[in-house]
Amino acid sequence: MSATNCLRCLSRPSVSRGVVVPVFAPTRTAAAFSTTAVQNAMPSKAKSAENQDRSVKVYRAGRKMTIKKKSTTDRGKPPGPGERKAFRKKIVLSNDNALPVPWVPEMEAGSLSDPKQVGKIVSLPATLQDQLRATEAFQPTQTWGLFRKPSTLVREESVQLMGKMEKAVADKTTARIVLTGEKISGKSTMLLQAQSHAYLNGWIVIHLPDAQELTNGSTEYSPIPNTENPTLYMQQNYCLKLLQSIKKSNEKILAKLLSVSSHSELPQNITVNQPLLSLINAAKEAEGAWPVFQALWSELNAPAAANRPPILLSLDNLPHIMKPSAYRSSAFEPIHSHDLSLVKLFVDALSGNTRFPSGGAVIAATNRNNGPRIPSMELALKQRLAAQKGEEVERKDPYFKGYDERVERVLRSVEVLEVNRIGKREARSLMEYWAASGLLRTTVDEQTVSEKWTLGGGGVLGEMERAALLTMRV
Amino acid sequence: MPPRLNLTSAAFRALSLRTAAAPSAAQPLSQKLLAVAAAPVTVVARRFYSDNLTPDSQPPKSSEIPPSNLVPELSQDAAAAQKKLQNVNALNRLEMVAYGLNPFDAEEEGHKYGLPSLPLPSELHKDHRYDDVLGQVTRLLMKDGKLSKAQRDMAMILNYLRTSPPPKLNPLRPLIPGSPAPHFLPLDPVTYLRVAIDSVAPLVRIRGFRGLAGGGRNLEVPAPLAARQRRRTAFMWILDAVQKRKSKGSGRKMFPTRVAEEIVAVVEGRSNVWDKRAQVHKLGTATRANLMNAQIKNFL
Repeated sequence: MSATNCLRCLSRPSVSRGVVVPVFAPTRTAAAFSTTAVQNAMPSKAKSAENQDRSVKVYRAGRKMTIKKKSTTDRGKPPGPGERKAFRKKIVLSNDNALPVPWVPEMEAGSLSDPKQVGKIVSLPATLQDQLRATEAFQPTQTWGLFRKPSTLVREESVQLMGKMEKAVADKTTARIVLTGEKISGKSTMLLQAQSHAYLNGWIVIHLPDAQELTNGSTEYSPIPNTENPTLYMQQNYCLKLLQSIKKSNEKILAKLLSVSSHSELPQNITVNQPLLSLINAAKEAEGAWPVFQALWSELNAPAAANRPPILLSLDNLPHIMKPSAYRSSAFEPIHSHDLSLVKLFVDALSGNTRFPSGGAVIAATNRNNGPRIPSMELALKQRLAAQKGEEVERKDPYFKGYDERVERVLRSVEVLEVNRIGKREARSLMEYWAASGLLRTTVDEQTVSEKWTLGGGGVLGEMERAALLTMRV
Repeated sequence: MPPRLNLTSAAFRALSLRTAAAPSAAQPLSQKLLAVAAAPVTVVARRFYSDNLTPDSQPPKSSEIPPSNLVPELSQDAAAAQKKLQNVNALNRLEMVAYGLNPFDAEEEGHKYGLPSLPLPSELHKDHRYDDVLGQVTRLLMKDGKLSKAQRDMAMILNYLRTSPPPKLNPLRPLIPGSPAPHFLPLDPVTYLRVAIDSVAPLVRIRGFRGLAGGGRNLEVPAPLAARQRRRTAFMWILDAVQKRKSKGSGRKMFPTRVAEEIVAVVEGRSNVWDKRAQVHKLGTATRANLMNAQIKNFL
């Protein structure tokens, strides 16, 4: 088929192709007195609003565009400061609709370290719940609120961890452990178990619930006088909060412990043989919180005192303190997290520089959800793990610049404990507990266990909870 | 139930994998001699292949195999191994007993958990995985096509409902007949949601016929709604009420909490959605006379 249009000039064949007549612009006769062509003259300006002739009414061609304002409905008083966050962080520990499970025993001092208890569920006693609440060991994303009573599964890793803690106390050494593992595999719960074990065995527990709060610039900071090269910084508001949580959770033990030296530098003079509780009470305001905390720490680690209890120092979200913090020095240089005094205290203990007189443990848990990537930390943990297993240790990448010497020094000799996926046996006992609580409405047999175990990424505990408890198939 | 499940079931059977092969076909010649004793098993095993449309060649009958001198005498160890091999079937059956299956059920043989009974229950189909109301309502919750997020929100709503105390019913706002006792509702959150939605679902909607009332006015006529439409209307009203609720917090739990609070309010008779329903029903009764309009009659 031939084209209807000429392919060169796009004219139709029906149109006769005569001589092309050039079209000129219509000529205008120029004014006699002007030598300039009309076309060259400047175009006349539009009349401004003031100069416009008002007698002639001008109608617009189109409609005037109006933007309707959205009607804002009054919803009453907005939530007060902190109220919204309080909702987000609210922790509920019981559900009255869930059935009580009679065969779950209460946790005792030896429950978590007994290898026979592996795969069993134990519930937390009421006093322990209050202590753990005070240290913020429970997290709002965990599923405590679904059950009648907060309970936890004794895993193989928990028995290993508690065994290490007990051994450290027997040898009067410090167990320095980093918990690693996949996302929602139960690292924070493992920390909670370590704390429970410590509380039930009469330890002193100091827990930093979220390392992020220390380094992301959300609390006030100030340089500590007379520290140079490097300058250290204190976070007094955070210290006060920490002191209060220590006081609330360790009240009974601290009331019995007596001070071994006098602290005249504190606002409230503390003399020898005063209970440590009164020492903590000396911190009434954020102003003097750091010196009080320092005094408490030196008292707890006093070598002269014969019978100090073991200490558990724990921290969640480790990677956040293994990088430069969001704070700046007076020269606007970023401050390394290890120059923040509270972090330094923890890091010294983790690296083994601080010795606890009657033994204890320093436990840190990594986090995978919003944790920053710290190449030095990741490498160090991999190396420690490989060394523990007797495998070949991975070398540093010689061409990579992002390593941090200070981080490596801290993690040079720590022990790494992997929080792995749970086995089907443990999964079964957990699911039987869910079913007995009335939350899993199926028979728990080989097939359902296998199904949930597989849906949960092959036994990742948090994923199993999501598959069975946070689902539309109730 | 979609019909294709039934159509393909025969094909699935023919394709089903067997962990233990049929003795007569797969065993070496020497073992076939031993397989004579297990002849009935062979028959049962063969039955699986009867679904195949194309018959394969005649299976060699073990009894017809001529005794051959090429087969060496079995040594002691080999004989022991032979015995063990013979027991494989028996051991498999014991394992099946452990799984709670009938070991002599021909359907189960070769499958760890057995074949599912046909027709399949509806929740095994990917499009009917959830309760029908739940599935519909979840899609109404969805924003920007994020179904997964909506499903998570719905799971949180259900968890809110099952942790909330039993609702205190208002006798002025009776729930749908046949709903369970209030103390039972938190134990079954899906029913809780269902009861809330079905109780406030309107029976009719008001259709307007333009110009039929004379003078260009609309003639309003009630029209019945199907069950799915009724639920949709009810849940959209609930969502409107949720929009008006004040947000007291932040985080991913806030929106599901507000929806769940509204659902509890509906069941307890505190929600404004009840008024909306009453209004529609009132209008429906008032305008039902318009159904007698000649033009409407012709139209309907």
